[in-house]
This record gives sequence, C-alpha cells and structure tokens, in this order.
Amino acid sequence: MPYYIGDVIQDEDKLVARTPERFRDGGIEVLTRTSVMEINAKESLVQLGDGSRVKYDILAVGTGTIPILPGIPGQDLEGVFTLKRLNDAIRIKARIEEKPVREAAIIGAGFISMEMCENLRRRHIKTTVINMGALPVTRWDPIFSKKAQEELDRNGVITLTGTKTQNIEKGADGRLHLTTTVGELVVDLLILAIGVKPDVQLAAAAGIPLGKTGAIQVDFSQKTSPGNIYAVGDCCEVFNRVSKRWVHIPLGDIANKQGRVAGRNIGGSPMLFPGIVAAQSFRLFDLEMAATGIDEREAAQAGFHPVSTVIWGNALAGPMPGNSSVGIKLIADQSTGKLLGAQAIGGAGAVSRINTLSCALWAGLGLDEVAYLDLAYAPPFSPSWDPIHVAAQDLLKKI
Amino acid sequence: MGKKLVIVGSGAGGASVAAEAKRRDPDLDVLMIEQGDYTSVAA
Repeated sequence: MPYYIGDVIQDEDKLVARTPERFRDGGIEVLTRTSVMEINAKESLVQLGDGSRVKYDILAVGTGTIPILPGIPGQDLEGVFTLKRLNDAIRIKARIEEKPVREAAIIGAGFISMEMCENLRRRHIKTTVINMGALPVTRWDPIFSKKAQEELDRNGVITLTGTKTQNIEKGADGRLHLTTTVGELVVDLLILAIGVKPDVQLAAAAGIPLGKTGAIQVDFSQKTSPGNIYAVGDCCEVFNRVSKRWVHIPLGDIANKQGRVAGRNIGGSPMLFPGIVAAQSFRLFDLEMAATGIDEREAAQAGFHPVSTVIWGNALAGPMPGNSSVGIKLIADQSTGKLLGAQAIGGAGAVSRINTLSCALWAGLGLDEVAYLDLAYAPPFSPSWDPIHVAAQDLLKKI
Repeated sequence: MGKKLVIVGSGAGGASVAAEAKRRDPDLDVLMIEQGDYTSVAA
C-alpha cells in the first residue's frame, strides 16, 4: 500500500488479489460492509450488525490487526491517518492528489514508516519522522539502524528522535499543528504508524483462548480450543521454529500460508503448519534491509547462549562495476554452534542473502555448515567467498 | 448442501481459507464476512 500511495502502483484494483465477484464465481458467498457483532461459540452462530444470525458448523477467524493509536488529543482529526485498510491508502492518496500536501509527518519509525518515507519523498513531500526512540527499525542491530538513519538523512527525510507528540490541532490555516516535546510542527498530512495489535475482541468475548502474546492461540492445524473454530493470519500466533516459541508476527505471507493450511484441514486434506523463521524485508530508498530468525535478546530468553558478529563485504565480486557494500550480522548458539538469526543491509543482495540464511535456519544448520554452503557464485552476483561464508567463518572463532 | 463454513474477515488469511477449503471440498457451503469494502487485499 505505501507503493500505491507513492504511485509506483497506480491502480488500487491491482492490490486486490481476488474480488468478491471472483469469490462468488467460485461458489463462495461474500458479504462486504458487514460487521460481525458476536461469535456465540456455544450455539455455533455469529450475530451480524443487522441483527441477523448465521449458524456455522465450522468457523474461521481472520480478523487481522488494529493499528495502535498514540492516544494524543486530535488523533482523529481530518488529515490524520493510520495505514491498515485499502480504504486508508485510497484516502491518503486522494488527499495528496486533491489538496496541496507540501509537508507530512509520520509518528513511528518501524518498517511501514520507512516505506512511507520513501513514497512520500517520491511525491516531493517534505517528510518528518517523529521517533520516540533514538534509532529507526529496532529489529536490526544499532549498527544497521544507524545506516537506515543515514539513508533517511541522505534522502532529505527529517527525523526527530526521542520525541513525543503531545497534541494535534487544526489551525486557522486548515493545516495540522503538532505540539511535540521538541517544539511545534505544521503539516498537511499525519500518518500514525506506531504499530499494530491483534484484533481479538470477538474471539476473546467468545471465550476463545489467547496466547501469551495476546493473539489467538492455535495449534499446528490452525485450530483454536473450541475444535470447530480455526484462526488464521495476523490475529493469531505462529510457531517460531528457531526459538520453539509461539510468537505474533503479523505479515501477509504468513497469513496466506496459515489460511491455506486451515482450508486444507477444513476441506478434508489435513496438513500441519510447519512454522516460520521470522524472515522479513523492506526497502528504504536505495537500501535493502532484511532479517531472519531471532536476535540475542530473544535467544537468551529462549535459553540459548548467543554470540554474534557483524561483517561488511562486497555485494558482488570485488572488481565488478556497480558494486556496493553489504553488512551481515549472524547470531549463533555458543553451546551447539547452531545458527539462530541473521540480519543484512546493503544496496543490493541483502534480501537474497537473508533468504539463503532463512533456509539454513529452517534446516537447523550449524555455523560450520553455513561457512561452507555451496552457493551460486558468479562475479556479477557475489564474491567467490560470499559475505555469508565470511560472516560464518568469523563467528566460528567465538564458538 | 455440505457443512457450513463461516469466515470472519477476508484479508490474506480469511480469503486463503475460503479458496482452499472450497477447492478441497466443493460441497462446503462457504460464507465469508468482511466489514470493509474490499476482499483479499495485498498490504
């Protein structure tokens, strides 16, 4: 959706994978603009907004997430948006195209905020990130987050760090006047991108158990505790194969897979969801950022003894034109020598390397194996010793 | 008609359930309920 707002993707229809009409053609009944008010698990029925009731034999809950709001006076003013539904994206884009939007601010510095920065700058809008913390995208090591900050600076994004927004008011000029802990800021558009939480209101009210993360608890077949109720996607937990813990990671690719697994189980072709390794990526202007597995803190919580290294290498073979630097961080367990996590950043080849390392995590490879992995070497794509090999061999010294 | 499957939400998760369950069991009576205007949106 950020790329739709940036007009990289021009047509909103392209964001709809399957329309209600196409579902109906496939024999699936669809109600849009219809709220479910209550799930009655005892009587196996749902109550709709118009008061009608629908009986079910099997229920699947895919309620997604809701944006976390900062709780600032004025956060519901016109011109203040969250970015969750396609309608939000359409409204933001319409505002940009219909009103003069010269300046925008984003509260939050996660990956959605970063993607919005790139796309607002693409539209030549002066953009300010209001970050409560010191660095953006804190999933990454501070060494890499600093590079992300430099990329924001290089592309003219203004960042306010350690800054809290206290009040939003509509001025006589029709613009949004923000009061922050470092002074006033006047913008035409404000995006709230602090984060999301699982939308579990219906499920919790129905007595469907939640996990420790606050998302709906499921088993490997995507079933909740009432066995005829399934949950899928961003509203439920997912099993992390590395930490062996149930986590909440709201990403669309995971939702697709969980939905398909639930659909198979409901449709009589049983399958268990194999879990995830928490692979993730995004682009920030000319930088790729990606991560997979767990970091030192999560590793320690899961009972591992994490050691790590950060190395910088060439994305391509040294003499190749257009080369760029790529940073790789590896985290491993000192006791077993197993790979636990990886992060990467660079002008090229960061995401592909994290995909490779995701496979290594999936398979439970040791660092000694990663250090000699057979990868597809050729000068336009990598050095003969790939930065993955270099990082693994470096970290082996600490094992 | 076969069993009744009701799906709350038509995002990536809900839409995948609908499509896959119906594919595996064409006799299923599937109803997907969405509070917004759009189904199956790629975020």
